[in-house]
Amino acid sequence: MKFETNIEQLRSASGISARFAERRANLPVLGSILIAAEGGRLVLRATNLECGVEISVPAKIGVEGVVAVPAPIFAGFLNSAHGKNISAVLEGGVLLLKTERAAASIKTIPHDDFPNLPRVSAERSFSIKAADLQRVLRSVVQCASTSTVKPELQSVLLFGDVGKLVAAATDSFRLAEKSVPRRGSSVVSPLLLPARNAAELLRLLEGVKGDVELYYNDNQLSAQLEDIYYTSRLIDGAFPNYQQIVPKTFATEAVVLREDFSSALKSLAIFSDKFLQVSLAVEPSKKALLLSARNPDVGEQTSTVVATIQGEAVALSFNNRYLADGLSSIVGESVRLYSNGPGKALLIKDAADESFFYLAMPMNR
Amino acid sequence: MRHGYTLAYPQVLHKLYTGLSLLTGHPYSRILGETTMTTTKELWENALVELELSISKPNFNTWFKDTHIVRIEDGTISLGVPSQFARDWLSTKFHKDIVRSLRGLSDSVRAVEYVISRGPRRGAEEARVVPAAPSELPLESVHAKSNLNPRFTFSNLVVGPFNELAHAAAQAVIRRPGGAYNPLLVYGPTGLGKTHLVQAIGNHFRINAPERKVFYCTSEKFSMDYVSALQGGGEKIQHFKEKYRQYDLLIMDDVQFLAGREKIKEEFFHLFNFLHDSNKQLVFSCDQHPNVIQNLEDRIKSRFAGGMIISVTPPDHESRLAIVRSKAAMHNVIFPDEVLEYLASTIEGNVRELEGALNLLLIQLDARGESLTVNDARALLRSAGGANKKSISIPEVVKTVAHFYGIPEESIYEKTRRKEVVRPRQIIMFLLREDFKISFPTIGEKLGGRDHTTVIHSCDKIRGDVLNDSVLNQDLHQIRLMLK
Repeated sequence: MKFETNIEQLRSASGISARFAERRANLPVLGSILIAAEGGRLVLRATNLECGVEISVPAKIGVEGVVAVPAPIFAGFLNSAHGKNISAVLEGGVLLLKTERAAASIKTIPHDDFPNLPRVSAERSFSIKAADLQRVLRSVVQCASTSTVKPELQSVLLFGDVGKLVAAATDSFRLAEKSVPRRGSSVVSPLLLPARNAAELLRLLEGVKGDVELYYNDNQLSAQLEDIYYTSRLIDGAFPNYQQIVPKTFATEAVVLREDFSSALKSLAIFSDKFLQVSLAVEPSKKALLLSARNPDVGEQTSTVVATIQGEAVALSFNNRYLADGLSSIVGESVRLYSNGPGKALLIKDAADESFFYLAMPMNR
Repeated sequence: MRHGYTLAYPQVLHKLYTGLSLLTGHPYSRILGETTMTTTKELWENALVELELSISKPNFNTWFKDTHIVRIEDGTISLGVPSQFARDWLSTKFHKDIVRSLRGLSDSVRAVEYVISRGPRRGAEEARVVPAAPSELPLESVHAKSNLNPRFTFSNLVVGPFNELAHAAAQAVIRRPGGAYNPLLVYGPTGLGKTHLVQAIGNHFRINAPERKVFYCTSEKFSMDYVSALQGGGEKIQHFKEKYRQYDLLIMDDVQFLAGREKIKEEFFHLFNFLHDSNKQLVFSCDQHPNVIQNLEDRIKSRFAGGMIISVTPPDHESRLAIVRSKAAMHNVIFPDEVLEYLASTIEGNVRELEGALNLLLIQLDARGESLTVNDARALLRSAGGANKKSISIPEVVKTVAHFYGIPEESIYEKTRRKEVVRPRQIIMFLLREDFKISFPTIGEKLGGRDHTTVIHSCDKIRGDVLNDSVLNQDLHQIRLMLK
């Protein structure tokens, strides 16, 4: 095998592939990047069997061939490589790489056992703007659970109604739902994309312009993002029927400026105790939210956020991060908070945008 | 099958199970524990053992993890695999090996197909149970508030004839707190799971109705609180009263210790009235029926009686077996059935003793790293004084039983077939066999030179009758107590 290609492009391709390679692989070949040189291009492939990626890079191919190299070594070398072009030759199980200033030889791994990436037939698919897909995933992915007890909560729910794509995630203490517009009227059946794989997809989507086509079946989801083929396992399970727990009527409703609220939370975080507890009191008489945090070892802070309030006074306490996460997904200037009193979830919405909501459970006091 | 298996090839099995647990991700015990191994499961496990030999270890661990047979239909085996990756790879790379090894084990195998399925480990129902939506926060302090030990839940409570009434009453309390049985008082000797039961009620509340305030304490804690409030003076006392009056569910353990403490009893009485009048649920446990507690005022006794007083009795044999099984499962260890059976039959009464004996075996298992046999267990428990069945002479048993039934001792040895003698004689034989493990011929010989088949018949007869005859059951219980 012999090829020559642009360093920049190979660097980015190997950087992405290395993220998909398994770090502590049982099967050594899963910790590697498979490089295939054929027909005027290089194809880099990596997978941890949860998700996988295949990236093609244009190259001048001298001799066609396939080789597997340890992902961290290959990506690490390219990361610090200088110059414009890189050339590679395979000699007796060793891949010799040469740039303007450096030369390296990497021991290859037998690649017979490298798995194929699952392909998903185009039967069921939908297309969406890359930016929209990015937005919908980014708004909810942080709410997914990290515990392995319930795999369905470790994932992001995606489903499509006429003209929109909806994503939701919850770790059972907070929940976020976001919808984005989508062309086409096909219905997308609920898909449970593991949150970690969703995060990888998000990173791939950075810099992708135009539309993305997603293919799916019961077990697998794939996407072609320009030169990158992405595929992920889907989780077999049922996402909780969360719509029914979203409250419809409220005892208290408050509107605050997002920036004010969010900076108050940031500053209160300094004084939070180990549970990151922040108390939130909605005071109709003072037309304000009173926020306070107290750490017996540090001190305490109170802050006031001006608010327009309807309904009763209410006092709740929250995990600071749960509130901040909710606000971070809101882009509008003002935020609506809805409460039904102690022990009930607080609903957070963008005041001008119905496409996103966030539910946070208060702490039991 | 599994018994003979375990005993015959412990090493082989151990190795096999360790291998399996590595590759399927099931804990070792889990594999051992599935005592109702279906034939399909065994088939696949045997096939895996063969496959493991022909495939490199990393490959085997990567691709055969979480695989299982979903069904067999007309000779076609549907193999469940965890992902499309695995399906594609197994069907292209290992299909031949898989078919060969399955055919080698079963002639009827014609084809193998691959389906994506998460496997029995995360059972379909389990995965499909829609969890209650966000309801609680993972704060330790929450638990501290209720003072409940989250380990005690209904799901790990073994329900058997010995506590099923109490369990049913607890369920009723959960359904209609403050309405069904208020107060609920569970009484019984120590170590029978009273605390577990009452805490399980609390934990159920804490999880399913987080807005309700639950508090668990022992009567000792209540007393201490009261005393320290008294020392603190006015404000503290007020605080104490408010603290206990705020709960929607108050669970107090071991209320017998209230007896004899006048001021505390009075405070308890007022608290009781307050909570009861505002329809808050009260749950108590006690080591004996409140009516027989000395130094407890009638007004308190009658208040207990106003709700539901229910007893837990020492568990029967099946329940004890279920208990050791579930305790062992909690430690992720499964012992051969005979060992559990032995534990359940030798250690009677107290659940805590049962747990202690089990712990003893667990430590031994840890130290040895191989499975224990009944003989090991017997030796261990004997040396630890756990199963201290004292040796007893046959005449002693005869004497006790004859005395119990009010018949002369000699009549047992005679050749009489009078009904009032036959039954006690059968009971003696049964006891000698079951409890003291004396051989059939010896029993026959010592009881007036009877044939061993007579003894076998008698034992079977009593064993059968025990199941339906509650009077006999009680008699046996009494006699066994007398023999101890």
